[in-house]
Amino acid sequence: MSYHDPVYLFLFLPAVLLVYQLTPRKKRWLLLLLAGYLFFWTISGKLVLYLIGTTLFTHYIGLWLELLKKSCAERLEREKSLNADSNKSSEKNRPETGEKAVREEYRKKQRLVLTLGVCVLLGVLGCLKYFNFFARNANLLLEQAGQGSLFQVKNLLLPIGISFYTLQAVGYMADVYWEKIPAQRHLGKLALFLGFFPQIMEGPISMYGQTGEALWKGEDLRGENLSAGSGRILWGLFKKMIVADRLYVLVKAVFEHYQDYSGSIVAFAAIAYTLQLYMEFSGCMDIVIGSGRLFGVRLPENFCRPFASRNAAEFWRRWHITLGAWLKTYVFYPVSVSRLVKKWNRFGKKHLGKYLTRLGATALCLFPVWLCNGLWHGASWNYIFYGMYYFAILLAGAALEPARIRAIRFFHINEKALYWQIPCILKTWVIIFTGELFFRANGLKAGMTMFFSIFRDFRLSVLWDGTLLDFSLDKGDYLVICAGVLIAAGIGIIKERNLLKGKGLQDMRTPVRWAVYYGLILSVLIFGAYGIGYQQVDLIYAGF
Amino acid sequence: MRDFKKNTGKWGRTLLFFLILAVLLGGISRKIAKTAEDQEKWVHYRNKSALLLEKEQKNTIDVMILGDSLSYTSFSPMQMWNEYGIPAFVGGQSGQNIQESYYMLKKAFKNQKPRLVILETNVLFRPQKGASGLTMTLAAAGSYYFPMFTYHDIWKSILTGKEYPEENYKGFQFREVTNPYRGGAYMKETAAKEKISRTVEDYLEKIRSLCRKNQAELVLVSTPSPLNYNYRKYNTLKAYAEQREIPYEDMNLKTQELGIDWEKDSLDGGDHLNLSGAWKVTRFTGKYLHENFSLPDRREEGAYASWIEEGKKYEEKAKEKLEAMWKDDKITGEEVENRRERSLPAYE
Amino acid sequence: MEKLMAILNDIDDSIQWEKEQGLIDRRLLDSFGVISLVSELEDCYSIEIEAGEMVPENFNSVEAIYTMVQRLQEK
Repeated sequence: MSYHDPVYLFLFLPAVLLVYQLTPRKKRWLLLLLAGYLFFWTISGKLVLYLIGTTLFTHYIGLWLELLKKSCAERLEREKSLNADSNKSSEKNRPETGEKAVREEYRKKQRLVLTLGVCVLLGVLGCLKYFNFFARNANLLLEQAGQGSLFQVKNLLLPIGISFYTLQAVGYMADVYWEKIPAQRHLGKLALFLGFFPQIMEGPISMYGQTGEALWKGEDLRGENLSAGSGRILWGLFKKMIVADRLYVLVKAVFEHYQDYSGSIVAFAAIAYTLQLYMEFSGCMDIVIGSGRLFGVRLPENFCRPFASRNAAEFWRRWHITLGAWLKTYVFYPVSVSRLVKKWNRFGKKHLGKYLTRLGATALCLFPVWLCNGLWHGASWNYIFYGMYYFAILLAGAALEPARIRAIRFFHINEKALYWQIPCILKTWVIIFTGELFFRANGLKAGMTMFFSIFRDFRLSVLWDGTLLDFSLDKGDYLVICAGVLIAAGIGIIKERNLLKGKGLQDMRTPVRWAVYYGLILSVLIFGAYGIGYQQVDLIYAGF
Repeated sequence: MRDFKKNTGKWGRTLLFFLILAVLLGGISRKIAKTAEDQEKWVHYRNKSALLLEKEQKNTIDVMILGDSLSYTSFSPMQMWNEYGIPAFVGGQSGQNIQESYYMLKKAFKNQKPRLVILETNVLFRPQKGASGLTMTLAAAGSYYFPMFTYHDIWKSILTGKEYPEENYKGFQFREVTNPYRGGAYMKETAAKEKISRTVEDYLEKIRSLCRKNQAELVLVSTPSPLNYNYRKYNTLKAYAEQREIPYEDMNLKTQELGIDWEKDSLDGGDHLNLSGAWKVTRFTGKYLHENFSLPDRREEGAYASWIEEGKKYEEKAKEKLEAMWKDDKITGEEVENRRERSLPAYE
Repeated sequence: MEKLMAILNDIDDSIQWEKEQGLIDRRLLDSFGVISLVSELEDCYSIEIEAGEMVPENFNSVEAIYTMVQRLQEK
């Protein structure tokens, strides 16, 4: 089962909604949890045990951290009263140092527990996801060194969504450690946070503070939620079925047989893939967020019109937002206050000056973020390259920032004017398309070959000489793709420029709203890429 | 009271929304179905047989053949007609699943009274585990009740003039390419069995009861295909057929009797049969039906004038093509390529 | 407070720090800005700012930053 599957849309979701409404409010969380495990089970079968195991373990670590905190507070309390007593008798004791020592002692213990928790979770993820990559490359190295291969490549089954729920679990532990949230005593609450069915396959990766409690409330189904939720689901289906699934054939053909195609087709395919990925992933997010909305749960947004970004950094605040936010909170900031960075700052202040110090610190903090980003997508060199690609671009952006500001001041450029914004946006598109080319390529080598082929053999004429009709996409398909993209772009522009003054579809008059709904339903049914001549396309991000 | 009013208002509006939606869907569905019926050439190959089936004259078909691509690459109704006067129709579709076979049969019974239903057994081995079976069921039922789902792509023809002009002889098309199968014997005796999915079994039951209700006899047939059949499947089907007393014929065990020559009769290296292979299978099947099921010879009946005509046309073309296929003992690779370009692949 | 203002003006003197209530939300202070601010604060007030403190609520305004610093000093 998958979110665009009729079984999900017409059977599973309505059934869960119905039973949810019939269940007494206090037990609704249990229903949602069971639905989550059932959903998981239809995809990964017995591997649901991984999710349950992760839940139990995370719950335990949370309680442990809480316990340490409590006993620390108790110790402090005792210390205080003890000190108060001893202060009366002798003036020599220095109470503050005692307190500090206790705090420090417990901090260390907590850090140990957190480290244990994070290591175990990431260890499981790492073993399942990265073992083969490691084994292959280690073997390669060993063979180079004249040794035989040592590691056996294993056929490991990956539970669906492990990359997503593991991050949520790690985030939860860290939040408890940082005292952003109290540990959750109720196992069910935590289980639901990690196993809410709309989020299982592709996220969004939420933090406990965002969804943990909302999921638990079990509010009644409400008309406005149902209407807004279904509207969102329809919009997601529109994007996926009308645009993304059509482009799939072309993208697959070119990326799998890139040697057979000229540079211009490769460039075209890179753009097509970016579009496919966006329409698919964001479309699926619309379905997911819409599904949550049906139950009155507001899941965090994952996309915010990424193609309106003026630079790569902004792009990453608008694209796969929850992954970016996760990496920022749990990798970037911890690294930025780490001893290494502090040492660098101290060293830099003495010897290097402000600019270089700041740049160095930026590099130190950004590198692990982008390494993780690349690795998270999968164990493959092209993903690592993808991460490093953005690392280099963002670092360059940070390095050039002072020069950019000076230039803008010098030439009196109005940064808000379209003559400045549009070239910036187009530049960012080139960065995005190039990144996605490497991201989708079958291995880094293929990516490089494809990339350089663009510069060797580039003829725009392929766009209209009929070459594009070779991909079992005919004129009609291209027409519909263009129409779909234009509609999506139009809506994006309306939202980006706030042309409706913050009003959404739900604020419009009923006839308008209904017309939009009917329009969406009919266009998905008529123009959707389903049935004969099309393949049902699996969700891309469910593979990560 | 006010609350009550507000609530009924809400429910009323919801009801109205879905009412309008139903009218819209129904209307468009009917319009699309009508367009498809009028403009046959706008209908995709996979749907064409179903459409033509609906257009057949009432109560003229005696044998209804169901199945995936193996069915329509193996049985040629016009040949059977020319040889035995048996009016048959192939309602096969590429990759047909058993749910689709079921609804195809349902469609057949609307206008026709076939006495015999032949199910090509490859549909029974399409895996349908868990949700995937459910998806297929939903899709097949949806397409049956809302033709819109089946023909939704017709907008392409309306907008850009896309056409599917191939000839169609009661569900059969000429496929003249030869691509030999050289894998040797494939029916190696064993006691092992192949599994049939639960959903498939359920739908096979439904097909059986549909046949019973309409007084038609169900026959299971496995057509020769080295890539799709083996002894395990034979064991399963044999046991199943014996238990339920359904006639079952596995032609893979009779390739000698049929005269199948894997050098000449395969379309694509042992997956599907080409015209020559179909000719042999049909000849065998016609004889088998004639001898075992006492089907009447309809060639003298007035209602079948169009069949006679089409039969003649078919015969002429088939003869020419078959002769060309049989003439050369060894065809060159280049010739295979040439013919492939001229001929249909199995999946269209 | 004055020490804090000096640090902030050193980072960027074009921002009217006292008036802003959404330094993070309106992206006047980006994540690189936050990390250099944090390192300055740590040195200046000899406190330790954990990654867990890096939430918008602690950096959105001068008052918020000051409150956080005071709280950490007490620890």
